[in-house]
Parts: sequence; C-alpha cells; structure tokens
Amino acid sequence: MMEITEKPASRDVALDTKSNAAARPEATSGADCQTGTARLSTLAALSAALLAACGGGGASGGGGASFGGSAPPSSGDASLGSGPGSADGSPGTANPGPAPVVAVPPASGFNNNPKASTDEEAARFLLQSQLDASELEISNLKAGNFAGYLQQQFAKPVGQTGLQWLEERGYGQAGTSRYFFQTYPAEYMLWKQLFTAQDGMRKRMALALSEFFVASMQSAEFEWRSHGYARYWDLLVSNAFGTYRQLLEDVTLSPAMGFFLNTRGNQKEDTKTGRVPDENYAREVMQLFSIGLVQLNLDGTEKIVDGKKIDSYTQADVTNLARVFTGYIFDISDGERITVLRQDGSPESYTIAGRQAATRPMALDASRHSTLAATFLGATVGAGVPGAQALKIALDTLANHPNTGPFFAKQMIQRLVTSNPSPAYVERVARAFNNNGAGVRGDLQAVWVAILLDDEARSAASLTNPTFGKLREPMLRFIQWGRTFGIKSGFNSWKLSATRGTDDSLGQSPLFAPSVFNFFRPGFIPPNTALATAKATAPEFQVVNETTVGGYLNYMQNVIRYGIYVPEPSVAEGLFKNYQPDITASYTAELALVLDAPALVRRINLLMCAGQLSGATQKIMVDALNANPVTAASNNDRKLDRICAALLMVLGCSEYLVQK
Amino acid sequence: MHLIDPHSQSRRAFLRRSAQLAFTGVALPTALNLASIGEAAAFNAPDGSYKALVCVFMYGGNDYANTLVPYDQASYDKYAAIRSGIALPRAALDAMVLSPTVGLPQGQQYALHPTMTGLQTLFNGGQAAVQLNVGPLVVPLTKAQYAGGNRTAFPLPPKLFSHNDQQSVWQSSSPEGSTIGFGGNMGDLALASNTNSLFTCVSVTGNAVFLAGDSALAYQVSTNGAVKINSVASDVYGSSAVKGAMGQLLQQARAHVLENEYNIVTRRSVGAEGSITSAIGSNAAADARAEFAPFKDITGNSLASQLKMVARLIGARSSLGAKRQVFFVSLGGFDLHDNLITGHTTNMKRVSDAMTAFHQTTVNLGVDSSVTAFTASDFGRTLTSNGDGSDHGWGGHHFIVGGAVKGKAFYGTPPPVSVGSTAAPEDQWHVGQGRLLPSTSVDQYAATLAKWFGVEDREMAGVLPNINKFGAAGGRTDYPIDLGFLKA
Repeated sequence: MMEITEKPASRDVALDTKSNAAARPEATSGADCQTGTARLSTLAALSAALLAACGGGGASGGGGASFGGSAPPSSGDASLGSGPGSADGSPGTANPGPAPVVAVPPASGFNNNPKASTDEEAARFLLQSQLDASELEISNLKAGNFAGYLQQQFAKPVGQTGLQWLEERGYGQAGTSRYFFQTYPAEYMLWKQLFTAQDGMRKRMALALSEFFVASMQSAEFEWRSHGYARYWDLLVSNAFGTYRQLLEDVTLSPAMGFFLNTRGNQKEDTKTGRVPDENYAREVMQLFSIGLVQLNLDGTEKIVDGKKIDSYTQADVTNLARVFTGYIFDISDGERITVLRQDGSPESYTIAGRQAATRPMALDASRHSTLAATFLGATVGAGVPGAQALKIALDTLANHPNTGPFFAKQMIQRLVTSNPSPAYVERVARAFNNNGAGVRGDLQAVWVAILLDDEARSAASLTNPTFGKLREPMLRFIQWGRTFGIKSGFNSWKLSATRGTDDSLGQSPLFAPSVFNFFRPGFIPPNTALATAKATAPEFQVVNETTVGGYLNYMQNVIRYGIYVPEPSVAEGLFKNYQPDITASYTAELALVLDAPALVRRINLLMCAGQLSGATQKIMVDALNANPVTAASNNDRKLDRICAALLMVLGCSEYLVQK
Repeated sequence: MHLIDPHSQSRRAFLRRSAQLAFTGVALPTALNLASIGEAAAFNAPDGSYKALVCVFMYGGNDYANTLVPYDQASYDKYAAIRSGIALPRAALDAMVLSPTVGLPQGQQYALHPTMTGLQTLFNGGQAAVQLNVGPLVVPLTKAQYAGGNRTAFPLPPKLFSHNDQQSVWQSSSPEGSTIGFGGNMGDLALASNTNSLFTCVSVTGNAVFLAGDSALAYQVSTNGAVKINSVASDVYGSSAVKGAMGQLLQQARAHVLENEYNIVTRRSVGAEGSITSAIGSNAAADARAEFAPFKDITGNSLASQLKMVARLIGARSSLGAKRQVFFVSLGGFDLHDNLITGHTTNMKRVSDAMTAFHQTTVNLGVDSSVTAFTASDFGRTLTSNGDGSDHGWGGHHFIVGGAVKGKAFYGTPPPVSVGSTAAPEDQWHVGQGRLLPSTSVDQYAATLAKWFGVEDREMAGVLPNINKFGAAGGRTDYPIDLGFLKA
C-alpha cells in the first residue's frame, strides 16, 4: 500500500480554481460508468492533484494507489458462515489497476480547513463522519489531518458481516424457533453492528445509504427474511466505499429489495390475459434511487424552462423500464430444501428453500423476461436483448444520468451535515460524484470526501449560522449514546427490537422505515414554522411531533440509567419473556470525574455535542447537578444518577439535538 | 389556555384568503368591511353545537376495482377478463351488492369487497355514500386534453402516480414540500370557535400536511392519548433541580431556527398533555364505557385504535372546549403491487370494521349527525393486473360515513370497465391500463365536506384555492362544487 503524504491545502492550491474549473472534465450522460474497472481511490487522486497543482513531485505516483478494502465488491458472492474476508468486499478482489491521474485542484470552498486544531473541531468532524467521537480518536485526529483520517477509514477492513453474526448466533438453523419467519435476528444484528463496529465511518455511511436505497423489514414476508436483510445491510456496508453503479446493481438484484419492490416474481406481459409487468421497481428506482422526479441543475436546484419544472421521466418511461425488471426470481438453483415443522406444532412438516436463496443475487428466468423493446430516458433496449444486457443498459443509463450526481449528493449532505446546503455545496459534491478526479464517476469515497471536507461542513462560520445543521435522527442519538459510554450486551444477545414505538420509544429502527419513502422525505418542510416561511427543508422534523418528543425522552431516561431490558438474554431465540437489563452502558470514564460537575458536563459536551453547548446551557446543567451534592462517599447509584442526569439534560437539549 | 391567539390569527388567515379571492378574480365587496363580512360567523356555532370531520387516509394507493367491484353481469365479465389473477370471484360478491335508492344507469351494480360487511350495512341503511372516481384535477379534463400538449389550458396535477406527491396533492393541492392543507385551512376558520385552539386539528397518526393551515396546526396524540414527558413532570433520578432544568432546557426559545422549532413542539406537548389526559381519562376507564363497546372486539387494527381515540376526544369535547374539529387518521399497506388478494382483504376489513365501529360509537355518543368521516388515498390503481397485483393510478372511489350523509347513494359517474386505448366512449375515462381519469376533483369532494362543516361559499376559495376552476365560477356546472352527499 502506498503511503500518501498529504499536504495541507495551501492557499496556492486554492488559487487557481477559476481557470481550472473550466478545464475540469465533467462526466455527463455520455460518460462511461466504470464499474469494477479502473478506479482510483479518491484521496490518492486528491493528493496527487494537490501535488500536481503545487508543482510538487510524485503526481504520477497517485495512479498506482489502491487502498486495501476499498475495491468495488463483486455482486455475486455472499457465502454464509465462512471466515472473515471471504464475504464480498474482501481486499484484493477486483483490485483496481492504475488509472490516469487528472490534475483537479479542489474547487473553491473545498478543504480550506485541512485539519482540526482543537478537540471540538475534531469531535465535530468525527460526529459528521461516523457514529460517535471518542477521546482517543479526537486526539489521533488532531495529530493528523482530515484527509489522512479518511484514508485510514477507507483502508479499514470490513469487520464481521451481518450474515456471519447471524450464523454465529445460530439464526441460520431452521429448527423449532423458525427464524426464517422472523425479522428479529436481523434487528439484533443491526444493533450489534451499529453499537460495536470498529469501522464506524463505513457503518455510518451504510446507514445513510439505507435511507436513500430504502428497503424495509416492515413488509418483509419471505422465508429467511433476516438473512435477506443481513445481506442487504452487508451490501450497503461493502459498497459504502465503492461505486454508486455497483451499489445500484447490488441493491437491484438483492432478494430483500426484490421482495420489497416486487422485482422478484415480476413477469413479462401476457397479451392473452392482459397481464402487464409490475411497474413498482421501475418507478421507484428512478424517483428515489437515482434521478428523481424533475430535471436538476448540477447544483441540485430544479431546472426551470418557460417558468416550469421539467419532469425527468414520463409514465411511458416507467412502463418501458418495467420490462427490464421482469423475469427475476430468488436463486434456488442449488436445489437445497430444508424440512421445517408447522407452526401449529402438528407433526407434519414441509420444506422451504435454503437461506442462500435469500442472500444470493436474484436469478433471471429468461422464459419470464420480456423480450419487447424498451425505450426509456433516451436509451433503448432492443427487442430480444438478453436480460443481463438489458439490466446493464438500464442501470448505466440511471447511473450516468445528469440528475443522479446532484440528486444523490444533496441527500447525502442532508443525512450527514445540513438540511439546507447551499447550491454551491451541492454542486461541489455533485462534481465529485461525476468525476473523482481520475475520471471515475460515482466513486462514493469521492462523495464522502467532498461532503466532509467542504468549507460549509468545516468552517467555524457555519457554527454561528442560525439555519445551519440538521436534527439528529433518534436512532443516531441512541447509537451515539451507546458507543460513547461503553455499551455492552452481557450475553452478546443484542436482543433489542422494540424501538419503533412513537409514544414510548425512538419511533425509529434501522432498516425499518414505514415505506420506501424512508422515515422522512428530503423535501419535507415543517408546516407552521419559521422554516415554512423560509421554504427551508428539515427532513428529520417529519417525525417530530407532540407524541414523539416525549416518547424519545422517556425511553432514554430509562435506558441510559437502568439499561435496556431484553427478553431471556442467555438464549438466541426471541421468546419475549423474562426481560433482563442485558444491554448497558459502563460510564467508566464519567464515574472517574463524577464529583466535578463542570468537568462532567464538559466531557459530555465534547463527546456528544462537539462542544456546541453554549456557556449558558452548561451553567443550567451544572447548577442543577450541584443542587444534589455527590461526594466520594456517595454510593454508586448516586454517582450514576448524576452522570445520567447530566446526560439526559444533554440528550433533551436542542443544542445537542441539532447537529451543527 | 390559548397557545395561539385565535382572533389575530384568524384575521391574518382571512386576509390571506381575501387576497386569494382577489387573485382568482372573484368580485369582493367594494368596501371591504371585515366586521360586516364576519369572518368567523360561519363557525360561531350556537352553544352545544358541534361538528367534526375525520379524514381516513389509506396510504399506498387503494385498489379501487376490488374495493367497489362491478357486479352486474356485463360489467363483472369485463372486470374478470381484465384482472387475471386478481379478480374477486362473483359468488363472493353476491351478498355484498349495494342497493342505492336510485339505481345506476343501464342496470349497473356494484358490490363491496367481501370483508366490508359493516360498510355495506351502513350504505344500505343510509349512513354511508360512495363518491365515484374522484382524484386530483387542476381543471376538468378529457382524455384528449390529457394526452394533448396544451398544458397552459389543460394543466395536470403535479407529479401524477408518485406516492408521496399524490398524498400531498390530495391533502393540500401541492406536491411534497407543501405546508398548507385543506383540513388546516378549515381549521383556521374554526380556531375562534374553540376554547383551546390547539385542539382544532388533531392527528392520531404521523405528521400530515392535511391539518396544517396558516395558524391551525396538527396537534398529535397517540392511540394512548397525550404523552407525558416524565423528566419535566417528575423529579429526575431523585432530583427536583434536574427536573427544573429539563423544563427550561426543553422549552426555552432559541436563536437557532431548528433548535427553536424543536423546543416549540416540546412546549406544546408539555402544555397540552394535562388537558388531554384529564379530559379523556385512562384507557381502562374508556374501555369500561358502553359508548366505546363497538371497538371492544377489534384487534390488530391500527385504524380502529386511532378512530377510537378520535371518538374519545369527541366524547370529551366539552372538557376540551371544542366545537369544530378536524381529525386525521390513517392506515398503511395499500401499495399492493404483489399479493393483492390477500393484502387487500386484510386492509378492506380493517377499514370497514374501524369506520363502522367509529360510526356506531358516534351514535352512542349522540353526535352521529355532527361527525362525518371520509376516505382518501394517494391514488387509485390500474385496472390491469401485473399477475398478482396492480400499479399506480389516479382516480378512485371513496366513502363518506355519518349521520349527516345522504347515504344509500352513489355520487359521480361510474367509470366504464375498460383498459383499451381506442376512441370508443368506454376508453375515454382512463389514461391507460385502467388508471382512472377523475370525473370528480378532490377540490369538489373537499368543498362538499367543507360546506357541511360551515365554510361559506365566499370563503371556499380560501380553503380550496383551486375550487373556482369548477362549478359556476369556473363555468363548469357539470363539475358542481357541492356534490350533494351531505345534508345541509
């Protein structure tokens, strides 16, 4: 692995943007989508570009860089139960070869803050780029720079996959527990991953992607649904540092999505009966997963012609594209059948497919695939073109569409940084999507770099802008709490599956959106607010109301202090009785400074809020804590009371809730 | 408790509506005299009077053709031929035929989905009506006008066939991002009638633009009532000082816009909880009351749970000081591209059971003539089959239920059962694959409800900005703004 010597983006570098902007190649619908071929790691390209622009040596060296683990995953292999590294995304597969380096200096507004000079700046970056901020990471980040940190994250190996954990826990057994009919194993798996994974940035990006490419366990009614959703999560994770195009293909062919949006079982037209192809995936893949409803400028604003918006597609595009998605079935080619007992306990049994059918990419049954020509978005699939080739044309068309960069870029900025990014910010990220600096389109590493290193995300000025930032999602607050305060599951059970209640819990759970429209919409504007007057979006406010604000706080008040009660933690099966507090935080470091209320609040402020609590707010908290003195002689419960009181005040305080 | 000053707010809302009237070209009194127009007059209801509208939203797009099934032999045969794999057997419909007082032309008949026995009884008993083929329209539209390119004269509703946008269009005439709905516009007019204006527009399901007006906003309760925030109400881990700090931190005004709006919601939550909880009492107490018995045996039906809470709030209207209310409830799971027969059966039973129990409860509470429930949905679906489901459409059929309904009747025009693309008359009321071109607009449907609720004709364009494209004002008396399904 090549060492990249990252140079700070000096003023010299940023100078030349005007002339270079004109020369910047911009991938458009005509550009190739280089899936699985030459692909350059973003930071290598960025670094090389910086060096080239500075006139420094070694620019060509960037071309050979490849970070282990960042290779595009193969879409096929999701084998079960094998050792780490054999699942998709393993280092070394489809190793990208050298790519030509295009000298692209950073756009204006990009990377003017190359490193964190304070703990607060470091924590702020960590909380935008991953699931939590620890003291160690803050200190490491301050010692290096943001680009170097991102390079390390991209290089980190994918940890244990979701599928591997299901197998380890025995959820691959048919048995009397009938796990193949349950979603709870996948829910447990997700909490385990999100609370404990070492590759926090990769998981954070996978979670953001899960709210763009939405598939939900809410309506998962296929056999081995937990395996199907573990595979879905795994493909988001493994592609999180890959390419958009490969991710789109893996999503499209995944059994979870196949079931969720009905590609599975979709049949070609039948003129005798009048049957027509199912349009669901064709419509939503355009509306939600790629191009959106209306034509966009590169900066994400809507194109207006003669005072009108322009639809990106018509009903005829949907009807035609639907033909491409016919013929898909779960892959049961291995012929595996598993005998299972009936639910009613009767002695008879029946057989179902093995769990690999829910984890392998769907197979194409050519006899059910439409052979009609299909014309959509200016592309044509000729009559009789084989299914795989038709799919490639369709997905290339979507990935190369000029809308896709800004459409995807804006939503990812909203997920990670701010609800209302400036058009210029969206454009900078869209440009990175369109071309990572090495001629590759849809390089997600380039997207994350562009989002996180942008001045709008990094500058101190945005901290004082009264409209900058976003409401933290309830599940992200919960995950941040757990990771920050040493959460553990005593039995490694992670049997947590009851966070969806709106009046007594988070109202949210990973991969459990109410529909393909996610928990909230990117265009949501809260009525009756100053935001509505300003026509400003605040997606996460779609789940904020008089019920959910209380449901969240009451839930947190219990779990942070008394732990998460789970059913029968010593066994894997759900059972839903004998609840015990198996999942608890440790508060080790907080106990060490519990006697010093200001220090306690300072620490929580840094780790949870990146130091964004005002002095006035901290004083309210400290005064309230000091009203109940805690001394060295106080018992542990009193100390935990104080720690959790400090924490609850932070978790409820809107200066925390709105991440800036 | 007044969280909103209803007088100044309704005046502001009135000014907005007046401006809209001016834009639509409707003549205003030359000497605009707010006092003489009496903005709130329509809602200055006499003591003891009460009215509520309840929107039952079916999220996902309801399959109209299996909800209200063509039953006469000629229509059924066409239906069965078109819907391969998803047609209901005619024998299952025999007991479900609707018997309108005045039959449909050419001997046409409809039967309800076999699980909708409750709604069938209400229809045949005169407490329910059906509005045929209703959906969003900007102007009355023929198929030729839909297919033609003149969008200046014949604009289409924005973003047809898209779930989130059509949900928003149904509720507010605008796609995603809309912040004003017609329920909220009616709420604006009703604020002054209610002692606590906050309880004018109430949702028992997620946030919905339907209930947002200029000033009226959607107040949320859960199916268990209002949530008490424990850390504001009681000592926190033994500390009253922390309770006090929570009360301050959670509700204080903030300079940051997002922070401030979040705290405003919390402030409303804390402020209203006590009133709601004391007015509706505990779940157990409600369960013990005979009035709510119609809900007793319904299980696993989220819509019924929501409507039960609506009924409890209506039952507590005196304590809450409410005289005019708009409610919003919903049920999901209607986007049945697959597995339509099974999934739709579950949903239709839930809708029928819940709406029937709700109506019976209003009878028990003595307010059945004061409460009107109506259905809405993203869109209807295709008549064609994709093998085991149907796809996104446009118009659909909807139910209106209550003691004020002129029931046992169909309103609107039955759409021909056809999916052809010929010039024949039967192919002029769908835009392909049996996606119905609405013959009645959501604006007309809403205006009929609004008029019953107390919105006067001159106020109608403030509630429904597009209404003057229909009826006499639009030169289209064939698209009347009062569809006639409610008593005066």
